Amino acid sequence: MKVKITSRAGEHQFDAEPEERILYAGLRGGLSLPYECATGTCGTCKARLISGEIEDLWPDAPGKKNLKSDQGQFLMCQCAAKGDVVAEVSQFVTSLRPLSGAPQWCEGTIRNTRMLTADVMALQLELDVTLGFEAGQFMAVEVPEVKGLRGYSMVNFSTDSSVLDFVIKKLPGGALSNWLFSGSRDGVRARLFGPLGVATFHPDVAKNLLCIAGGTGIAGIMSILDRACQTRHFDRFEGDVFFGVRTPEDAFYLDELAAFQAGFPRSLRVTVAFSDQPATDEIRSRYPGIRFAEGFVHEVAGRDMQGRFENVMAYLAGPPPAVDSSIRLLIMAGVGADSIKYDKFS
Amino acid sequence: MTEKRICRIEDVPSNGLKECEVDNGAPVLVINSGEEYFACNAICPHQEVPLCEGMFDGKVLTCHMHLWQWDVRTGAPIGLAEAPLEMFEVSVDDGWLCIRASNALRVASLFEGIAQETLEKINAIAEERQCSEGEVLYTVGDPAEELFILESGRVEFLVGRDGKVTSGGFMVRKGEVFGWAPLMENQKQRVAQATCKEAVTLLSLNGAKVREILEEDPRSGMKVMMRLSSLLTKYMIAAGTS
Ligand SMILES: Cc1cc2nc3c(=O)[nH]c(=O)nc-3n(C[C@H](O)[C@H](O)[C@H](O)COP(=O)(O)OP(=O)(O)OC[C@H]3O[C@@H](n4cnc5c(N)ncnc54)[C@H](O)[C@@H]3O)c2cc1C
Ligand code: FES
Ligand code: FES
Repeated sequence: MKVKITSRAGEHQFDAEPEERILYAGLRGGLSLPYECATGTCGTCKARLISGEIEDLWPDAPGKKNLKSDQGQFLMCQCAAKGDVVAEVSQFVTSLRPLSGAPQWCEGTIRNTRMLTADVMALQLELDVTLGFEAGQFMAVEVPEVKGLRGYSMVNFSTDSSVLDFVIKKLPGGALSNWLFSGSRDGVRARLFGPLGVATFHPDVAKNLLCIAGGTGIAGIMSILDRACQTRHFDRFEGDVFFGVRTPEDAFYLDELAAFQAGFPRSLRVTVAFSDQPATDEIRSRYPGIRFAEGFVHEVAGRDMQGRFENVMAYLAGPPPAVDSSIRLLIMAGVGADSIKYDKFS
Repeated sequence: MTEKRICRIEDVPSNGLKECEVDNGAPVLVINSGEEYFACNAICPHQEVPLCEGMFDGKVLTCHMHLWQWDVRTGAPIGLAEAPLEMFEVSVDDGWLCIRASNALRVASLFEGIAQETLEKINAIAEERQCSEGEVLYTVGDPAEELFILESGRVEFLVGRDGKVTSGGFMVRKGEVFGWAPLMENQKQRVAQATCKEAVTLLSLNGAKVREILEEDPRSGMKVMMRLSSLLTKYMIAAGTS
């Protein structure tokens, strides 16, 4: 099926498979279509249908909240073309050539699932192909038993890898996470689309890094720290990592974070904030290189970073309220919008 | 639009924002910055999100959705923002905040920040035109003598000819400038077709006269030319021809 997108500066055409989300077909075709979550929650991929017929794969998507469906508006990440389609996007859309680096469909097998805390699981997806991605990117993942795709950020970083590490939190009532936690899923095949996302770190970023993560939001931050440590970014720049969870029992990746910190003891600081309980003596003595604080992660970060916001590149990830509070903190501290990169795990 | 009273100034929080309903019109955002008041369209020019939910530090307004930012004194975009705010002219009368629509020239980012005197000269040669839906403003090969500033409505562009015609995009925002060929050297003919897709109000400016005015004020002229080249680059990149 042919999809034509009219944007502010002209039109672009690409092919879409039956049932394929228009956003994915366009991204695969190298277009810079607007999106953020790629999974139906944020509303950023809004477009207007001009001609043709589309199928809404998720009529209840929360991202449709502000859509004017009487004017033909729809979410490109949740609608597929049912024939040739013409749609309009109100932004500038550019076309990426060559296509290398454009997101693509691939398949893989779930391996090495292991519990990190009572409700957080680490797992790997062993892909049938190798995939290049930037530190901080995510994949949209689909398993046969669960309807729809979910975004998951890569924990590892590698320029050319067939193994992707993920960390997934069990959500009360969440379809995919409950499926994952309710039986052995090693060996199950999954379909993935990506890499996606622009909250990425590249060694060209000549700035101090400020990372604020809530819960599994630490996933993409681990990838960013991995790359930044590999390229010895903290020989030249400062790094501040704030990781918020509820209680000491909910903390994970502390060994890995302590190892990053030990590599750059003078320039990299890691703070773990507990919102519901103070740190235990045990955890403090086990991780002397990590600082522990009590409070919401953005509040802890706000206090600690006072007067040090200049020349930072900020990476924020986690539940939307945590990310929104952190964004507000940074904007009010005068950090420019182009120095704030975020993923809302909505 | 004549002057409209929209709220009491004491109702605007200090260094804060207040959204005001306006009779039969889009809501207006009133902004207090120290001693000064500003007003703009209350809806984000990006994706129809209310700007009163955004962040304001006393000088810079940030939309919370995708962090577009503007200088509230001028409406000029900062950082990621791809379009200016649509500002109103503001006055205070007996404790009431009053607004008046700015003309499109004053919100056109192509002319943002140029000398006031030069802007007045350009304003003096601007002619307002009402066009009806379906009207073709120009087509490929027409002499390129005027440039246009959109006041309201929607204009669409087509490029190419003889059966190989593709969309060249569209403009919908107040203050967007199109038909800029007469600002350039040796661009005597139109290379696209511009059609009104709704009833359109626009300002038309004689290109040769605008060039004359800018030549008398090279500093402003330089600003306009820099903006124009950024704009052209953006379109070239979008068209994949860069
Ligand atoms: C950029 C990004 C990165 C993320 N990274 C991580 C991460 O690293 N770790 C982590 O734990 N979580 C991450 N999340 C959150 C994750 O995508 C899921 O929302 C979360 O795991 C809950 O999924 P669930 O199936 O358990 O819950 P559910 O409430 O069942 O579903 C949550 C999400 O799944 C999608 N969905 C649900 N139903 C449908 C349907 N019928 N059709 C189509 N789509 C549907 C929607 O996106 C919905 O928001 C990320 C989210 C985003 C946007
Ligand atoms: S990108 Fe489609 S709703 Fe977020
Ligand atoms: S909606 Fe305001 S910046 Fe996107």
